[in-house]
Amino acid sequence: MTFDSCNPHKNAPVLKAALKSGCLWLQGHLQGYVHHRLKCHQQILSYWKDISDSSLFSMDNPGSPSLSSLCLCASVVKSGCLGLTLKAQRHGGKFSESHNSGWIFKTASSFTTAGKMALLGLFLIPGPEHILGTDELGMDIWSQICYGARMSLIIGLAVALLSGVGGGVLGLLGGYMGGNWDKLLLRAIDISMALPSFPLLIVIAAFLNPSIVNVILVLVLLSWAKPARIVRSSALAMKKQHYIVSARLNGASPAYIIRRHIMPEVLPLLFVSILNIASYAIVAESGLAFLGLGDPTSKSWGMMLHYSTSFRSIYFTPYWQWWLIPPLVALIFLLLCLAFIGRDMERVVDPRLRTGGRS
Amino acid sequence: MRSRDRKGMVMQYATVLFIILVLNFFLPRMMPGDPFLILSADKENEIVSVLTEEQREYFKSYYGLDRPVHVQFIRYLSSLVRGDLGNSIYYKAPVIEAIWLRLPWTALIVVGATFISTIAGILLGLFSARNRRKAGDKFLLLGLISFAEIPSFLLGLIILLAFAVRLKIFPLAGAVTPFAHYTGPLDMALDIGYHAALPMITLALTQLTGIYLLVRNTLVTVMTKDYIRTARAKGIGDRSVWTRHALRNALLPVVTRVGFMVGMLMGGSVLVENVFSYPGVGSLLREAVVARDYPLIQGIMLIMAVSILSVNYLVDIIYEHLDPRVASYEAA
Repeated sequence: MTFDSCNPHKNAPVLKAALKSGCLWLQGHLQGYVHHRLKCHQQILSYWKDISDSSLFSMDNPGSPSLSSLCLCASVVKSGCLGLTLKAQRHGGKFSESHNSGWIFKTASSFTTAGKMALLGLFLIPGPEHILGTDELGMDIWSQICYGARMSLIIGLAVALLSGVGGGVLGLLGGYMGGNWDKLLLRAIDISMALPSFPLLIVIAAFLNPSIVNVILVLVLLSWAKPARIVRSSALAMKKQHYIVSARLNGASPAYIIRRHIMPEVLPLLFVSILNIASYAIVAESGLAFLGLGDPTSKSWGMMLHYSTSFRSIYFTPYWQWWLIPPLVALIFLLLCLAFIGRDMERVVDPRLRTGGRS
Repeated sequence: MRSRDRKGMVMQYATVLFIILVLNFFLPRMMPGDPFLILSADKENEIVSVLTEEQREYFKSYYGLDRPVHVQFIRYLSSLVRGDLGNSIYYKAPVIEAIWLRLPWTALIVVGATFISTIAGILLGLFSARNRRKAGDKFLLLGLISFAEIPSFLLGLIILLAFAVRLKIFPLAGAVTPFAHYTGPLDMALDIGYHAALPMITLALTQLTGIYLLVRNTLVTVMTKDYIRTARAKGIGDRSVWTRHALRNALLPVVTRVGFMVGMLMGGSVLVENVFSYPGVGSLLREAVVARDYPLIQGIMLIMAVSILSVNYLVDIIYEHLDPRVASYEAA
């Protein structure tokens, strides 16, 4: 067997054999710390091997054929939307440039209702100029979708990172340090898990100024508990492992143990819960906006749903076909992407799910 | 949560309730501005009357705002205990009455959705576990897991667009046909059920996957147990083994799940009712938000939070009675 730098699949057995023989050799000579450090490295290596073996980079795994394509789609959504905003913005501003309003109002009286609205640029059906049509104010729907993507992604990412990192650090300290701090943390986690999050979210959003920052802060306060609990319990379990005990007895400081031994194992778990929090935050933000509690100066997919569903008798007109459906499809698409990525990450991270099948 | 004693559980729920009450009390007081600085200037040509110092003092003592904060808080609590949630600005009526009018509709769809998703989840889970790793099981698993990722109001919109707007099978909005004359109670029940069907199904679909996966996975685990082999060895029929020996033991975790599901359904009903313009508490909440009717928003939040908490507490207690192992762990 030779080491092939191009094909990760062929490398797996090579790496495994090398590690195994290395382990056996060391086991005979060095007991204690060195052995355990190597074991730790082996775990990290096998973790990366799993990732490269898994569906993230291959289509062989029949359990998750969708992942690679969905990953691609998600990145296309992101980059496409962020890149196209400027272009779309020009589309949106077209009305004021091209139409002479005095002329419109003189001649508009001779048209039918539909004709008037077409002249004013309202409710234009999708066409070459406005690829998804326009809404009741003559605003281009595609450009609104682009801005909304930015909003959803910012909120999802910010909430997930803040609560993931914050909750992770708290849980790590609680699980590793133990003592009164841990008891306090456990209480706080229990209480914050028992809080009915959605009603609370509505009230806080109704009273505070509904800016992005406030929504992010409230969502972080309601979602930090889950990553904290996951990280705490795995840190607690790992603390008693032999290789960590022997590292400590060899004089390793807590900071060193956390950095070198606990973090590599905890991070993948944290990553999965960060993905879940991201989709939770996106759903919560769009739900709030749908209720009319979003920031009225911003554009988001939830706000589009709010405006279109609160438009009087929209279902008796054809407008819902191009006004209501785009934000709906965009939201569902983004959430499904996140969900599939999260599910596959979970399978990569948790060996029990992989070997035992999804039983 | 299981391993802690009853006292700790009560303490936890009490703390959560206290936090909610404190939030409810302090949020309006944290808002910027002073309501007594300027009195009402609704129209532009109207004279803005600035209150004198005496008038401000009068209003402050009238609303009890000159007392220390803790006295205000205790007065707030005691009025809550008496069932006084304040007056709605928009409806010009006590908040509790406005909520009471709408509560039955929400209760109807939440309870209906709980029943539908529990029964359907158990049946589908049983089917899936019996046909494990066959085509039907795989199809169900994939379909339901994908369904679970779509949040309730988006699913509701899809269902509304498909069945009410496009196919016109179900009504677009409302809980009863307006100006309808019913010939009897059956007719009325049919009409109510017809209107409640779509929101109920939407809510049920969002929670179905949880129950389904739970039943399926527990059944798979239970079927490997020794007592199942014993039952089979005794010559009990396949159908009886599945339903009487396996399913009964697999239903235990479902009880907890159903309890938490009710809480989630109440949260989800806020959005789903708005999708279907169903006149429950959720659409009342949207009306209150649009009208900036703060006492009403607070009242709805409080009622919802208290009912979610009490359902969860009830589930904890029921579970203890159903599963004697929990109690024995605690004793040990």
